[in-house]
Amino acid sequence: MDETLKDLTTQSYAQGFVTDVEQEFVPKGLNEEIIRTISRIKDEPQWLLDFRLDAFRKWQKMTQPDWGHLKLPPIDYQDIIYYAAPKKDKDRPKEIDPALMETFEKLGIPVGEREYLAGVKDRREVAVDAVFDSVSVSTTFRKTLSEKGIIFCSFSEAVHEHPDLVRKYLASVVPAGDNFFAALNSAVFSDGSFCYVPKGVECPMDLSSYFRINASGTGQFERTLIIADEGSRLSYMEGCTAPMRDENQLHAAVVEIIVEKDADVKYSTVQNWYPGDAQGRGGILNLVTKRGICRGSGAHLSWTQVETGSAITWKYPSTILKGDNSSSEFYSVALTNNWQQADTGTKMIHLGRNTRSRIISKGISAGHSENSYRGLVRIAPGADGARNYSQCDSLLIGSNCGAHTFPVIRNANPAATVEHEATTSRISEDKLFYCGQRGIPEEDAVGLIVNGYAQEVLQRLPMEFAIEARKLLQVSLEGSIG
Amino acid sequence: MDKQIYILGRDSVPEVITLDSPRDLGMILVALPGTSLRQRLEIDIQSPGCEVELRGVFLCTGQEQLGFDILVRHSSGGSTSRQLFKGIAGGSSHTEFNGLIYVAHDAQKTKAWQENHTLLVTPEAVASAKPQLEIYADDVECSHGATTGFLDEMEQFYMRSRGVPEAEARKLQMISFLSPVLSDLPEGLRDELINSL
Repeated sequence: MDETLKDLTTQSYAQGFVTDVEQEFVPKGLNEEIIRTISRIKDEPQWLLDFRLDAFRKWQKMTQPDWGHLKLPPIDYQDIIYYAAPKKDKDRPKEIDPALMETFEKLGIPVGEREYLAGVKDRREVAVDAVFDSVSVSTTFRKTLSEKGIIFCSFSEAVHEHPDLVRKYLASVVPAGDNFFAALNSAVFSDGSFCYVPKGVECPMDLSSYFRINASGTGQFERTLIIADEGSRLSYMEGCTAPMRDENQLHAAVVEIIVEKDADVKYSTVQNWYPGDAQGRGGILNLVTKRGICRGSGAHLSWTQVETGSAITWKYPSTILKGDNSSSEFYSVALTNNWQQADTGTKMIHLGRNTRSRIISKGISAGHSENSYRGLVRIAPGADGARNYSQCDSLLIGSNCGAHTFPVIRNANPAATVEHEATTSRISEDKLFYCGQRGIPEEDAVGLIVNGYAQEVLQRLPMEFAIEARKLLQVSLEGSIG
Repeated sequence: MDKQIYILGRDSVPEVITLDSPRDLGMILVALPGTSLRQRLEIDIQSPGCEVELRGVFLCTGQEQLGFDILVRHSSGGSTSRQLFKGIAGGSSHTEFNGLIYVAHDAQKTKAWQENHTLLVTPEAVASAKPQLEIYADDVECSHGATTGFLDEMEQFYMRSRGVPEAEARKLQMISFLSPVLSDLPEGLRDELINSL
């Protein structure tokens, strides 16, 4: 039995391979010298080094949060390599290492614009910023995008090429000392994506970041900064995978999104970090801070996430609704199997008048996993006419898992309405019987029912992502029945 | 089901109630204006066949700080619990409803519902809600719902266009909002609450 289970889980995580490429590392451990080294490798200006050191000093005074409904293994922050990068071939610095190219091809990420150049347009064009451990290895379609004035590049390049923008917006939504993991990220962040869409521009294609952890003993600390100027539109996607290892690897990222007046940003994530094996060994600790601000009136930010990976997920994509009439949505499917633990949800902070938010969260727990929704809806005294609707459903598969809902609602405005509802149930025998009677095997039937249950969220995803997410849900549930 | 009525601050409310044999439990907690306290209540259901019906009504008109910490623990399966808390926060009061339904591992066939609705009627009042579910069994039916809102202007318009003065219309709205719990109270207490609206 154990053997078959093991087979199933090893099979099902197809992205669990390691790429054999020469890499350079900084020494293990975390101290000011390491931070200075990272900053030096990246040839950063003094202000950014100061920002890092300031964050590091704040982090040293902080303690790791323990309020999550999680059993977090102790993390030794001195036992992590904070910077790992594939060695660059000095002779042709413009080209990507073929091994890396192959890795991303294998993962289905078009890093080479190949399809586009060959004129094959069987799917919509997507510009990709591919991050391998601590560096961005390729950003595609930059030229096409720059014709429209859109800046899409790695964070390190942005620091050199657009320092004013970076300096203006960096840490404006998630301050360096916001929380323990955000402070850690601010101190040691390596690379990530930067995107700026100028006034009135509609981004002609979906942009995406793809994060890959490869090296062992490292952590990934990327930082994403997205700015949508007045009246612009952008759809952004994020994906991630990691090799299978028996050790836990830390991933502490920060995503900041600034949405100006009348701009519209859609941020979608399919999180597929290595979830650990069926016995709960290994897997990524995904401790992420994501936050956006609707700064101007009429701004709109939509979060969609499909969380199937990671041993532990601690993630609350949030929106500050500052501009009047701004709106935000949070659509989430979180699936946990085996020994995975997820504590995820959102925060909607209503500050402006007539601000609207909508939260749809679908949790699915199987095996011995724990799945929690945690959320905050806050209506400030000035947010007249604000409106929130939240719905959190949980689905339990088997009697050894847990499904929890921890919402917090704070309303300080007599002209605002907040509604929250949550349900917990399981896949009913009737539904399984109905499928079984029509010749659908039990495992497929469960996949079908789960897909139907998550439909409301999945339909919000961009096309390519929706297909991937559907497959992932099916695969992640393998071995959960019987 | 017989319902025991407790007026907070006047009657002593048991903090922990353990149900270890099949039985019914009906309770109504009433917070009259001027009640500032934190009421803790834990109901531990250790037997199948229990029916728990817990209701609460609160009315805050001044500077009250009123909190409910309600834990309904289903340690054993096969029982049902229902909670309904309704209240109005006026003046500069702060109200908080902190309710947890806990369903233990193997407490199958549990049915648990929890509802909490608060009306905010003044700009200074603050209402918080933490309706929580912690569930470790799969064959269960559990849900919670929480809302905070205000007096509907359309309803007021409807009444005023029929000659009901504004103050009267507001009062009618509040009575109808609280009525699911009010209707179970004895007349004297009900009138006391209605008169203080």
